[in-house]
Amino acid sequence: MTSILQAVVLIAVQTGIMLAVAPFIVGLIRKVKARLQLRRGAGVLQPYADLAKLFRKQPIISTTTSWIFTATPYILFASTLLAGLLVPMFTSRIPLSFAGNIIALVYLFGLGTFFLILAGLDAGSAFGGMGSSREAIVASLTEPAMIMSIFAIALTAGSTNLSTIVHKTALLDGIVLDPSPHLMALAALMIVALAETGRVPVDNPATHLELTMIHEAMVLEYSGRYLALVEWAAALKLLVFLTLIANVFAPWGIATSLEPVALAVGVVAYLAKVSGLALVIGVIESMFAKLRLFRLPDFLGLAFILALLAVIFFYVLRG
Amino acid sequence: MNEIALAPVAVLLAAPLLTALLSAATNHPFVLRALNLGTMTALALSEAVIVGDLSGHGAITTLWGLVYLDGLSAFILLIIIAIGCTASVYSWDYLADHVARGTIAPGRTRLFFCLFHLFLFAMIVATLANSLGVLWVAMEGTTLATAFLISFFRTREGLEAGWKYLILCSVGIALALFGTVLMYYSSVRVLGDVSAALNVTILQQVASQLDPQVLKLAFIFVLVGYGTKIGLAPMHSWVPEAYGEAPAPVVAMLAGVLETVAVYALLRTKSIVDQAVPDYYTGNLLLLLGLLSFVVAALFILIQHDYKRMFAYSSIEHMGIAIAGFGVGGPAGTFGGLFHLLNHALAKSLAFFAAGNIHRRFGTREIQEVHGMASVQPITALAVLIAGLALAGMPPFSMFLSEMLVLSSLATQSFASDTLHLGRFITVIIAHDVRNLAVVLLFLLFAVALFGGFIYRVVLMVWGTAPRDVPSGERWSVSHIPLAVTALALIGLGWAIPEPVKGLMDQAVIVLLGR
Amino acid sequence: MPAFDIGSQLVNLGSALLLLSCFAIVAQRRLSACVDLFALQSVFLAATAALVAFLTGIHHIYAAAGLTILIKAVVIPNILKQVIERLNVNREVDMNVNVPTGLLICGGLVMLAFFITQPIIPLGALLTRDSLAIALAIVLIGFFTMIARNKAVTQIIGFLVMENGLFLGATAAAYGMPLIVELGVFFDVLVGTLIIGLYTHRLQDTFDTVDTSRLTALKE
Repeated sequence: MTSILQAVVLIAVQTGIMLAVAPFIVGLIRKVKARLQLRRGAGVLQPYADLAKLFRKQPIISTTTSWIFTATPYILFASTLLAGLLVPMFTSRIPLSFAGNIIALVYLFGLGTFFLILAGLDAGSAFGGMGSSREAIVASLTEPAMIMSIFAIALTAGSTNLSTIVHKTALLDGIVLDPSPHLMALAALMIVALAETGRVPVDNPATHLELTMIHEAMVLEYSGRYLALVEWAAALKLLVFLTLIANVFAPWGIATSLEPVALAVGVVAYLAKVSGLALVIGVIESMFAKLRLFRLPDFLGLAFILALLAVIFFYVLRG
Repeated sequence: MNEIALAPVAVLLAAPLLTALLSAATNHPFVLRALNLGTMTALALSEAVIVGDLSGHGAITTLWGLVYLDGLSAFILLIIIAIGCTASVYSWDYLADHVARGTIAPGRTRLFFCLFHLFLFAMIVATLANSLGVLWVAMEGTTLATAFLISFFRTREGLEAGWKYLILCSVGIALALFGTVLMYYSSVRVLGDVSAALNVTILQQVASQLDPQVLKLAFIFVLVGYGTKIGLAPMHSWVPEAYGEAPAPVVAMLAGVLETVAVYALLRTKSIVDQAVPDYYTGNLLLLLGLLSFVVAALFILIQHDYKRMFAYSSIEHMGIAIAGFGVGGPAGTFGGLFHLLNHALAKSLAFFAAGNIHRRFGTREIQEVHGMASVQPITALAVLIAGLALAGMPPFSMFLSEMLVLSSLATQSFASDTLHLGRFITVIIAHDVRNLAVVLLFLLFAVALFGGFIYRVVLMVWGTAPRDVPSGERWSVSHIPLAVTALALIGLGWAIPEPVKGLMDQAVIVLLGR
Repeated sequence: MPAFDIGSQLVNLGSALLLLSCFAIVAQRRLSACVDLFALQSVFLAATAALVAFLTGIHHIYAAAGLTILIKAVVIPNILKQVIERLNVNREVDMNVNVPTGLLICGGLVMLAFFITQPIIPLGALLTRDSLAIALAIVLIGFFTMIARNKAVTQIIGFLVMENGLFLGATAAAYGMPLIVELGVFFDVLVGTLIIGLYTHRLQDTFDTVDTSRLTALKE
């Protein structure tokens, strides 16, 4: 009975933290970029206000759309949230670990992306279709790299279960420590994260220039609470990726038991880590220019090769 | 350790360096010539002293252990200095002529001599160095020093050839450095001492304890690396272009000396690797590359229409023969290989001196357009004839002897291993006499083809009616002395090898066979 | 020896960073960015060398690390930047092999390097286990870059990357070459870069291009 209660509480806390922190991360990245461009920029809490405003506004839906268009924000939001619950956040002993397989994570993201692509096409506008086709290219290129890089990590821990990987890495227990595969996989996953969440070298979240936008083009038709959900889901996705990177490659500080003190330390360490990664992303976005669409296969190919190398390194070094 | 050796070694190192610096300062042709003559005399004298020392001591280590000299290095040094002397004398008139024609700006003769002596210096350092690392540095130094010598005429083709040479040799030599690093890696583990672990003197003592796996890998890298510099077959593509475009005295040095020094670097490594690894391992690799170079060069000579490129391919061919000789090993093969190096240096420098004369007179490098040299340039024609016949392996010249030595060692040597491993699962066993027969037949087949192609082209150039616009007659001048001396040496060595040289070669064979 | 273990992990990490920057160079299309990446790689190299010096207590490796920073991370990149400045032509890399294929080939080369060094790695009683393999991989990737890229500047970078790989091999696997050899190698690299840079100017003047695939005057 207590274990079920515990599970419910943990899930509730993790959901709460995710929902609460996600807009903050977006705001933090914007702030870092603004500062690097010598602007003062909006406050880090601005995304909360944006979301609140959007929820209050009346949504306008094109008459040409089908049910897919209205269902997509909910599906996207739910699938991203669920994916987030599969990733250990402040404790490695997450209740959903029985389902917490890396492959499930990849496919939950895939589900959301799939519906978003459909919704982009659904409205029948030129921009939506363009965004969808571009998103499909990016998604199909990142997916193999993502699976490969996570597999490389899975190999070093001997499990595809995320909480097991994180748990073992955090305790340095029964895990193969080798910098080469880890480094390769980290670089690959970083590229994947930038691509999947529509950050700078791949896509620019701050632009609505028709020639370059990918994600923004797809969601151009949304308004009101639907747009709020899509934006929130995008922020969540970014947060999930940052969580994944932070906890798989540097799980230190995470609670490996369910003691209250450990949990509190875990939450603080987690917030520090994702904020740090947000800083890094802000710096990357300021340093690099967006790649031309035709150069994307090179960039994402690099991620795939690196991930592949990570796997090979593992086999060669252990072989 | 040895006070007598210090003086000549110091002269060997200081003279070319000093001349390089002084040449850069003056542009007066007379001063430059005097400098050249002085340096070359000093070098020749110190070499003579060293040869005398070696016959008494066997091997010399001096200059705080940085310099190591034995029969092998002294023999290579002999070739460097002999060809260096002739090439330097030859370049006097050659450069003056080009300055007079306006193909070289007058101020650039000093650059030529500066680079020429730096090149000489790098090669001398390579042969004197005790450390394999310094040997490598000096080999890379030769690449850098010759980079601008090859494109000295600053033509399109010259630049292209120089670029190709620079890139290919730098890459090749980088691989050789990796091989050297691997050798160092294995010796450091035996010695635990960092500073001297690449010294030949140390490596010779501990060679048998080195890890054979590492040495095998190291030798492959060294072979590919220095093989590029030698111009062995798969890595030879820079050779015809650089030899075709560079000024004649430079080509004589490249073909006669630089290749020899690269062979020296390879042999030095081989002599150490052989003590830890069964010697058929390095031998078979050398034999394979040597015969491949021979075959490839023989085929390419048949389609050449440019005499400088033809001589270039002939270089690849003869290096192939020498390397095959070292590959077979044994006293006969090794001696044959060394002797072949000397003969090739002489014959090839003679050929390129003559080629330089022809080019200046006829203004073309096409064999088709050069006729009747016998009447136009009788002295050069004789030189081309001698060089051509020697390079084709005709009897009165010494090259015939060394080629025969290599061939007979190919025919009689019983290989230590008759099994040939193809992949991991297939093993072919060939009786050694069958294999010998096959190798010799292959060799003779291509030698005959090569002989025909070579002689045909030489005859085409020497006889026939001269083109009308080419002035006839050739006056005797200083620049003919190198031709005469080299030709006489080629003929003389065919009769008898002088006792000091013979002694040097015997010592070198002992060094190489590790007894 | 846990301390030594962490040390060797760090050296391996340094080698892996070097390899990673190699891939970045292969994937990079802008010439000046390639030069920057090379400078970054040299900084990683110097850091790795300094780490080896610290762990082994061999002092002359510090000197080599310092020289690496000075020559390979400052002087040579500046020379190359000047060359690129003066070229005043298309500053993108021309390639014979496109980027994804090139990356795949490089992945293959890494495997090849591990395969080649496999027989000698288990003997590594020294600090590092796979640095030698990574060093060979970097040498091979540098070699590949020289073949796969046409611009003269990229060929220089390929050569310098090879050199970095060699230096890594010498430092990480064998605790650095004797000082005299290392000085000689640095001298050669510096002079070599200068000469190749000069050659690039001449090529530019004579051919109006530094695309070495246009060098076709010499044919069989």
